[in-house]
Amino acid sequence: MTTVVSDDGILLPAASRPFLVEIDGHYVWSLTPDRDGVRRSGGVLVPWPGVLRPFLSGRGRIRITDTTGEEVLHDAEVGLGAGEGPLAVVDAQGNRLSVDKVGHLARSFADTGEAVQQEILVGTRRALDDLREHAGVNAYLNYGALLGAIREGRMLAHDSDTDLCYLSDHTSPADIIAESYRISRAMRALGWNLLRMSGGDIKLLLPLSDGRICHIDVFVAFHVGDTFFQLGNRSGSLPRSSIEPFSTIELHGHEFPAPRDPEAMLAFLYGPHWRTPDPSFRYEDPPDGVRRLDGWLRGFRSEMGLWTGFLNGPRVTDVPRTASPFARWVEPQLGDLPVLDLGTGTGRDALWFARQGHRTGAVDFSRAGLGRVRRLARHRGLEVEAGQLILGELRSTLSLGTRLARDPHHLYARHLLGCLDDAALDQLWLLARMALRPGGGSLFLEFQAVDDQVPDTAAGTAVEPDGLVRRVDPAAVRAGIERSGGIVERITLAPGQDMFDHPDLAVCRIRAVWPAPTAPASAAPTEETR
Amino acid sequence: MSTHEIRTRLRSQARDRLPGPVVERIRGRVSLRDRVRVLEAEVQENRQLNRRIAELTDVVTELLIPLDARDQDRVDEVLSRYQQGL
Repeated sequence: MTTVVSDDGILLPAASRPFLVEIDGHYVWSLTPDRDGVRRSGGVLVPWPGVLRPFLSGRGRIRITDTTGEEVLHDAEVGLGAGEGPLAVVDAQGNRLSVDKVGHLARSFADTGEAVQQEILVGTRRALDDLREHAGVNAYLNYGALLGAIREGRMLAHDSDTDLCYLSDHTSPADIIAESYRISRAMRALGWNLLRMSGGDIKLLLPLSDGRICHIDVFVAFHVGDTFFQLGNRSGSLPRSSIEPFSTIELHGHEFPAPRDPEAMLAFLYGPHWRTPDPSFRYEDPPDGVRRLDGWLRGFRSEMGLWTGFLNGPRVTDVPRTASPFARWVEPQLGDLPVLDLGTGTGRDALWFARQGHRTGAVDFSRAGLGRVRRLARHRGLEVEAGQLILGELRSTLSLGTRLARDPHHLYARHLLGCLDDAALDQLWLLARMALRPGGGSLFLEFQAVDDQVPDTAAGTAVEPDGLVRRVDPAAVRAGIERSGGIVERITLAPGQDMFDHPDLAVCRIRAVWPAPTAPASAAPTEETR
Repeated sequence: MSTHEIRTRLRSQARDRLPGPVVERIRGRVSLRDRVRVLEAEVQENRQLNRRIAELTDVVTELLIPLDARDQDRVDEVLSRYQQGL
């Protein structure tokens, strides 16, 4: 049969082997038809991955081969989408990208110049040394870099980063997380910029001379009972004696520590056929192990990536840059106290408060959002102190609450409540209590609400953008505030606007305060309107 | 008669023919499945406490000693460094 490339995907013969897809000689993706496709008349249709679709408009030579390159299924020029220019999967700097094994776009090693490859390996070596000397953990090279070193004596062509792991002595997840916190503190003190991905793994961000940032993952590995857990999501059976004491491997002229029995580790990670190249390999992790790791280590950044995608994507331009009607309603009530915009997003209201002469802070869990606010503030000559707050990570909430207790602010949150899960919402009330009790500021909230007189407004109903915001029940919000010692001074439920300023029939506004425990509670009744 | 109605009628006839203890055992299994589902949710909630314990431990071990010393300059410095190190 003929292999057909179209806007829908690639129609090719049924097979359980992997194939490689190149555009104009550059590797972009690998697929296994039986696993990734759906049966159609004439073969199996494998749809294009969502991350590639934005790039698939134009003309280019698409070559599809088996992993040896000997069997060629397709090698011809193809036009996709409405574009007339060349097809190219590239980042903003023009660097070639490909789909990695977890479905993200990344720059593969084969498309990285030799000098930059050396920078990655030197940076990885420095990370290992810093982890040992300053963070007190002995880490080893693992995953793709280990596989490349053992199987091929070099980095895998389609790999995009390096992964380090350390074997924790702890067996209690709480101790393992606390150890990971100490490691990130030590690495930050050395100047490493890093992201926390879960309670057991961080990403070290290594800037490269070509403008790209290489991610060096630092994963914990540990035993609980007889089960070995290795982050990402691996779990199963591998004794400590297969890992320690370490062996040494060489990669492009650099020596790295490796598990004592690298073959046993590779079989644990990639299964018994690890010696056969398969760029389209996907992990098949035991679901009970994933469930345990999710429960122990994760849950505080589930939607962070989606928000970062939104704030860096084209739809963010649909958010007005001018002040929201809610900000204009709040502003005359601020008086002399500074205001902190919680979940600032694009920063439109924080920037406007600053322009009105208020000392203004802005916090968000998305670093993309904060970067945008800082850039806009600098560009407009405004002072907005922007910092990260991860509601759901108690340390983050407690440390900001402590600071605000001695530096009184009003708290302002527009369309934040609908983004929070129950745990994060509880921490918002904790933050408000810590921040507002000593200083006397107010909490101003606006959110798309439940209204029994408006159809389709049940609690949890997804609203724009793309379900990242959900409707919230004002009664539940009020109960949460009162449970944490706050008093709702004013509550209204009326037509208003969503975050794009599109009309919404059920929008709730709340003003609440947290009186100091020694002061008599206010007897003034809540002003309630609808 | 629709397929759904036929299926419901056959099920009910089959149930009527089963002896009482067997029906009870089947009902018990359904309830056991529900109980396992609830238990799994509760176990997951308990797993989540690990992160809470680790966070509280981290805050206490990093911040409590300078706070106890009542050295305000040291407290300010430690708080600021703690927040930057998160």
